[in-house]
Amino acid sequence: MAQMHHHRLRYEKSGLGIYISHLDTMALFQRAFLRAGLSIWQTEGYNKHAYISIALPLSLGFSSRCEVLEFDLESDIPLNEVPDRLNAVLPEGVRVLECYPARDPFKLLRTLDWTLTLEYDRGTPEGVEDALGEMLALPSLVIQKPSKKSKKGYTELDIIPMVHEWYVDQREDNRLMLKMKLAAQNPSLNPQLLLETFSDRWPAFRPDFVHYRREEIYLENGEIFR
Amino acid sequence: MDSKLERILLRVQKPARYTGGEYNAVVKDRGEVDTRFAFCFPDTYEIGMSNLGMRILYGVMNEMPGVWCERCFAPWGDMETEMRREGLPLWALESGDPIRDFDFIGFSLGYEMAYTNVLNMLDLAGVPLHTWERGEDDPIVIAGGTCAYNGEPLADFIDIFSLGEGEDVTKEMLELYQQCRREGYSRNDYLRRAAQIPGLYVPALYHVDYNADGTVSSITPEEGIPPVVTKRIVQDLDQSYFPVKTIVPSTEIVHDRVMLEVFRGCIRGCRFCQAGFCYRPVRPKSPEKLLEQGIAACQDSGYQEITLSSLSTSDYRPLPQLCDGLLDYCESRNINLSVPSLRADNFSMELEQRLQKARKSSFTFAPEAGTQRLRDTINKNVTEEDLMSACKTVFEGGGNAVKLYFMLGLPTETDEDVLGIADLAQKVYVNWKQNASVRARGVRITVSTSFFVPKPFTPFQWEPQITMEEYQRRVNLLRSAIRNKSIIYDWHDPDTSYIEAILARGDRRLGKAIEEVWRRGGRLDAWSEYFDFDRWIDSIRAVGLDPDFYAHRARTFEEVLPWSMISVGVRQKYLWREREQAYKSVITPDCRVQCMGCGADKLLCDGKCDEILPISARREKEA
Repeated sequence: MAQMHHHRLRYEKSGLGIYISHLDTMALFQRAFLRAGLSIWQTEGYNKHAYISIALPLSLGFSSRCEVLEFDLESDIPLNEVPDRLNAVLPEGVRVLECYPARDPFKLLRTLDWTLTLEYDRGTPEGVEDALGEMLALPSLVIQKPSKKSKKGYTELDIIPMVHEWYVDQREDNRLMLKMKLAAQNPSLNPQLLLETFSDRWPAFRPDFVHYRREEIYLENGEIFR
Repeated sequence: MDSKLERILLRVQKPARYTGGEYNAVVKDRGEVDTRFAFCFPDTYEIGMSNLGMRILYGVMNEMPGVWCERCFAPWGDMETEMRREGLPLWALESGDPIRDFDFIGFSLGYEMAYTNVLNMLDLAGVPLHTWERGEDDPIVIAGGTCAYNGEPLADFIDIFSLGEGEDVTKEMLELYQQCRREGYSRNDYLRRAAQIPGLYVPALYHVDYNADGTVSSITPEEGIPPVVTKRIVQDLDQSYFPVKTIVPSTEIVHDRVMLEVFRGCIRGCRFCQAGFCYRPVRPKSPEKLLEQGIAACQDSGYQEITLSSLSTSDYRPLPQLCDGLLDYCESRNINLSVPSLRADNFSMELEQRLQKARKSSFTFAPEAGTQRLRDTINKNVTEEDLMSACKTVFEGGGNAVKLYFMLGLPTETDEDVLGIADLAQKVYVNWKQNASVRARGVRITVSTSFFVPKPFTPFQWEPQITMEEYQRRVNLLRSAIRNKSIIYDWHDPDTSYIEAILARGDRRLGKAIEEVWRRGGRLDAWSEYFDFDRWIDSIRAVGLDPDFYAHRARTFEEVLPWSMISVGVRQKYLWREREQAYKSVITPDCRVQCMGCGADKLLCDGKCDEILPISARREKEA
């Protein structure tokens, strides 16, 4: 029986923090709460552990300013003191930005804003933007998404309706910065998959490296999720 | 972060192993340190970070003004390939700086199969491999740990071996270094002066000669260099450094919990056990201190598990008192307390049940040998009666799985002893039938055998290892004697144990062989996916050495053993007498029943082993 959990953290992952996997991040917060002397609700049953839940798992190597973690604070302290207490005991690259009462159920989360920084060591080629625009203007583009649940090992996915907005934010000699609003769940579109699809179609435009960063999360109606 | 590294990290498995930045990692201001130390563990991050010794010395060194100790681990194969392709030299996790620019590179040597990693890490760092190739600007390469007691096979590569417990000697070594630098001494002057510090062995200052038959004829120190180097110990464990504030890895490691060391040394004197002789004398920590440190370490780390560690934890006299104290703290906080290394002869179900909130169904005992005669020979003072009574307790308490550990190839072992293992396992099965409180789930009795490796500084240091073929014959004999479907037999492959036997009692000529193994691609040899038996044998032969000379040859008492210039405090004559007692199958009582005069008590200032002073006396001492 799912119980309603009452408190949330929004935290940032950057720098060295991006190499900490989703599961390791869960363990890290469980220990950080204990180190900070903050008591949180424990699950009952065979293997009791501090209950925490992360809204959207973040791929290894991605940074984010909008990770949301849910828990139940049992210590009687003001929520606005929680970030400092946790930040004092968190490792480099993981920083709590705010702590607040839970508002929107996780299932209402719809879209994510991303910043993608494409690095081109031999110079940003001309025409990348146009090629991407051409691809995303297609009426539909069905790709195979790896899936552990499916027998075939993948599921088919039309990525076009999942790209809600995109634009070029900055073009530099060796970098191209893209902003995108993508579907966040049921199903979600991982921007890495989008860029892989693009690079397969236009091998000359394949970047040498990409930084992925989550910026903000939204509800269906476009309001910020909290 | 270096942009090359940034890209590499996303191409390798488990990148968090290579980034540092963990909670409690020590980052100092480069401007305020003049002595940089790279603590290298010659295996992966997950293994190395599980090592308590490394955590202790990390803390000890970082408490010193002007010293910054950082960590470094062996990269996994995928990372090594990337580093070599991109030309990235081995770096320290805390600063990201290349370790070739450090003052010291220190290796912890826990097992022989890590030796190739030492060479590989030096090479990845860009440090000259051999001691004689290093110049004034190269780091001093040191090594400690259990294998350092006979570090001879690595003598070509290690400038200083640190023998025994490093808490005090490491500080002395670094202080001397700082002094020598202030006074403008050269590298060689420093090494000669370091060799005067008790516990530091500088192999290049000792000359080894050989007889025509390949045995060592003499070991000659240079003038003014001590002929024997005695290991160091911590006098008072309560006063010694314990890492209450310790690094909490951001990725899963092997032993991810608070480790509390209850005592050092062992009262037992099992004749095969290197740790049992090398870690003497017995020095317990007080339960009050352990309780205080255990609670503080849990609070600081957020760990929800504490484990008590020692060579034989049930021999810690105040164990019930300590467990009571820790459980008072742990139970309300869902912290799990685990107590491994319990013996069959003082096994307590009451304690087990208090420890395990979720009922444990599997218990492990190590009789080591199948017959009483052979158990007496190895001085494993566990009787069949002890084992049966422990098993009865387990089965009555609802346990339905017992693991039994044995060694094959122990000195004097006969087929009768081998078959005795099958008999003993069958008796455990009958014991289950008679005593099980729950029969419905059946029982699982697992018999495991490993291949005995004779080790230096034990009474069996003169013994030949049996051949791999003979080991396999004994395995087959035992296998055919086990016919009960509830008894499962697992045996270790003999390959690595044979190589370990060569290296464990090797001399410094083996350095060329280790180098050859490494040149032919050897690394991460403790991992079965990397270990290559033929590569080892071919390399040893290629440098003109005979592997059997080291593994299978019986030594005489008169032979100059390659580690004769080292003392662990236990006299050679004592070890030889223990060997003679072994051949007569006469047991030696444990240290608490009677002191047999091994000599290790002389390492203690007051000469009293195994003593916990009353609190009042300790307060007086502290004041």
